[in-house]
Amino acid sequence: MSPRRERLLRAWRRLWKPPRRLRTTPAGRTYLVLCFGVGLGALNTGNNLLYLVLGLQLSIIVASGILSERCVRRVEVRRLLPAAPRARSPFHLAWGLRLARGQSFALSVAEVHPVLGVAVGRLAWLPAGEELVVRAVATAPRRGPVHLSAIRLATTFPFGLFVKIRDVEVPGDLLVLPGRVLPPPEPPAPSSGLGLEQRSLRGLDGGGDLAQLRELREGEDARRIHWRKSAQLGILLRVERDAQPQPRIVLQLDDRAPAEALDGRCEELAARAELLLARGAEVGLECTGGLSVKPGTGAFHSHAILQALARAGQTEEAG
Amino acid sequence: MSTERLRLVLRDLAAAAAFAAMAISGQVPAWTIALFFLALVVALTGRRPLADGRLSAVALLLAVILLYAAVMVEQLDLVVAACITASLLTAQRMLSRPTPRTTDQVQLASLLMIAGGAVLSADLLFALCLFGYTALAVLSQGLSVVAASGPGPFPSTSRVFRPLAGGLALAMAGALLFFVLFPRLSWNVAARRGGASLGGGTTGFADGLRLGGSGVLKSNPRVVFRARIDPDPGTDALDAYWVGRRYDTFDGVQWSTRGRPSPPVRQVTLGPVEADLVRQEIDLLPAYGSRTLVALDAPVFLGDAESHQATFTVRTELIPSGDREVRLLGPSEHVTYRALSATDRAGPAPIDAAEKARRLQLPKYIDPRILALAGTLSEGAVGDRAIARQLERALQTGYGYKLELPGRVKDQLADFLFDRRQGHCEDFATALAVLLRAKQIPARVVGFHGGERAAGEYLVRAGDAHAWVEAGVDGHVLRLDATPPQHRSAAETGLTGWFLARWEALQIRWLDRVVEYSLSDQNRLAQRFRGGTATPDRPASRKAGRGAGVALGVLGVALLIAALLGRRAAAGDATVLGRSLQRLLRRRGRLGPGGWLDGAPVDEVELLPVREGIARYREARFGRRPLGPGEARRLVRRARQALRGVPSTSPTTPERPASRA
Repeated sequence: MSPRRERLLRAWRRLWKPPRRLRTTPAGRTYLVLCFGVGLGALNTGNNLLYLVLGLQLSIIVASGILSERCVRRVEVRRLLPAAPRARSPFHLAWGLRLARGQSFALSVAEVHPVLGVAVGRLAWLPAGEELVVRAVATAPRRGPVHLSAIRLATTFPFGLFVKIRDVEVPGDLLVLPGRVLPPPEPPAPSSGLGLEQRSLRGLDGGGDLAQLRELREGEDARRIHWRKSAQLGILLRVERDAQPQPRIVLQLDDRAPAEALDGRCEELAARAELLLARGAEVGLECTGGLSVKPGTGAFHSHAILQALARAGQTEEAG
Repeated sequence: MSTERLRLVLRDLAAAAAFAAMAISGQVPAWTIALFFLALVVALTGRRPLADGRLSAVALLLAVILLYAAVMVEQLDLVVAACITASLLTAQRMLSRPTPRTTDQVQLASLLMIAGGAVLSADLLFALCLFGYTALAVLSQGLSVVAASGPGPFPSTSRVFRPLAGGLALAMAGALLFFVLFPRLSWNVAARRGGASLGGGTTGFADGLRLGGSGVLKSNPRVVFRARIDPDPGTDALDAYWVGRRYDTFDGVQWSTRGRPSPPVRQVTLGPVEADLVRQEIDLLPAYGSRTLVALDAPVFLGDAESHQATFTVRTELIPSGDREVRLLGPSEHVTYRALSATDRAGPAPIDAAEKARRLQLPKYIDPRILALAGTLSEGAVGDRAIARQLERALQTGYGYKLELPGRVKDQLADFLFDRRQGHCEDFATALAVLLRAKQIPARVVGFHGGERAAGEYLVRAGDAHAWVEAGVDGHVLRLDATPPQHRSAAETGLTGWFLARWEALQIRWLDRVVEYSLSDQNRLAQRFRGGTATPDRPASRKAGRGAGVALGVLGVALLIAALLGRRAAAGDATVLGRSLQRLLRRRGRLGPGGWLDGAPVDEVELLPVREGIARYREARFGRRPLGPGEARRLVRRARQALRGVPSTSPTTPERPASRA
């Protein structure tokens, strides 16, 4: 479909989509029942005062619609996504709300999403000219990218009888990283070809094999003293070791596995990668589907691996 | 007062207004009123003794069962029972723990009470209660919704109230439009009219008229009946005499009447129905506490009476009773009927011998001085008519009018004529009737005088009750009134009386235009909009224009209020702050050409608060840093204090240049 045609189709759909939606609260339902009762009473009895009460009740509904529309109409909203949300762990969804003029009351904000939509941020008052950030705690059950299409603004102002809902189209994507699990107890198996590659770099204070002993100089760390040899020779000798070899590990992932098994495997690999990176190893990732991350170290690299694991095997959005 | 407390107080007061809407009907039992009042007082003091609510809920359930048992055995009206249930439920919820849910329940139960009040009462007070309930409920519910909506900065109550006030105005205008335009297609399955308002009958025609009573009735402004008169006299104050019962027997202390009731009929004809008769549509209101029908003097026809009960309207039969008196058969709380009256008494009115003897009869004991006085006062007059007029004039000019009379004396009439020489209409009428009888002129005492124009008809108040005399002179009936003319109608009663009189007039309009509004009124309104009907004195187009103008005006004012409130809320406090600061500077002569401070040194310490205010105004207006609650007021106060301490650069406001170069 050509982009122009797609745009036209979108515009046509938008034309038929109601700009606002209205939901009744429990109190609103009772109120409507009362309206119906009073109306029935007025028709039955011809009592003008009942007509007056009915008119007032119906006008209250209209006034409620107008005031609630004023609350949600001009609100500008932007999404503030969390940096590294993990599956099954609570994280904060945040939205920045701003109003050019007027004021809004009793606002609630949520994502238009079947899972993340349950997290609702609330705000009693939004004054004009100031951006206020509203937060809500959300939990994603699965790793993977989550496409967010719109933000739902709602208010129960002024009478709490109806919830006026306005969906603001703000497209965005949230990448949910694999959930946190304990790393498996077995040591990492070197991968074929690229597996463990040892380097023998000599350093002064490494954690590797003993290289030599020499006299302790002034100002050097006393913890490096080799006490037995020092006692034998009568001078303080210090130990010098080779620098510890940093293993280079490339984690392998078969991303053609079934979804649940793949999720478990990804979480496992994520835990392992984080552990290895914490120990100083260079960690990389290779997936059978072609996705790969070159070995590296550091927090940024850790995030890259987790993101790759979050995307691995995903053909549709998570959640 | 904290916002939470304010919201609860408003909620409880709204419930009180809703309860009052029912209670004014007078049909709610006293124990319910006492119970609700107690609950209200406890709730307003902030105590919630029924926090748990379980025990009270069980008690409430039992009470409801008892109430409906009373309905089943026909000891209680079903609507009243429903109203009591709603009020008990409201009271129980008011005293429970204040959660958003209980607040909703209180509001909804209050709405039930309002609906009950609409069924039970037709009083204008209901409108006040309805308005009070709506305003208070809207404000409290708005505060509740904002308070329950979660964290974040909580706005000041005034910020919440502004849009709510706009919404309230809109709702009122909408209700009015709905009321006027919604077609009155009633199924009338269970029609029920509003009952009497608070207070029963205040005046009317009693079986006897006893001398010696104080004249407090004269200052009672309650409207007892109203009449639409055709042809319309057109005057604001009607100088007319109304007749109901005639008293012809006087025993020295009390006037009474004799009459044998006839079988009930639909219509009573009292005289020849001729062409030039005054047609009257009379509405006896609940304040009229008698079954005797009234009409302009002299009535010739009475009929088409309808008694309006709580649940139905029924045609009522009439009982001709003795001397031209017509009574209602059945209750008389609210009755409408038609009457025709002859304006002049040109024709002879022959009376039989027995009646003449009754009208000439003097009390068994009469002070001899009275007989002597009759001779003295009528000295020089020739003929019955001249004697009667001379006696009337003598009493009018020789005696004073006074409502406050001393305690009971043995001979009221002699006391009035010889000692006190002051009295009210009953004294004057009695004295004139007795003096006439002493001169062998048949006479009797009759009833109401006056009428005040309101909404195209005439209202007669309790204070318009009046005693005057009919004398039989030369075979004709002569109306005589010895009371000084300025004291015949209702007495002026100061501010309270003025207020009550206006209230009653408003009540009449309320009954006419709201309670009795019908499909035919809607048709008339539609015709007016179309410019269909025209009356000779007012062209149809003008009437239509006026009606449309009023309707559009109401809508326009409501929308304007809503828009202004919304605009004010939108502009926020920043604009107000800016204007206040400019006003201050202008007054102190420190307003510079740029609209703010003149060329004062920047480091002038005394002016720092002013500069701070200006800076905050600019931030709030243009810098997206809104003012906090009350900040504008604080800044203006500080600026004012600062400017007080700084000498003005010019003693007066600088003159504007006459012309620009």
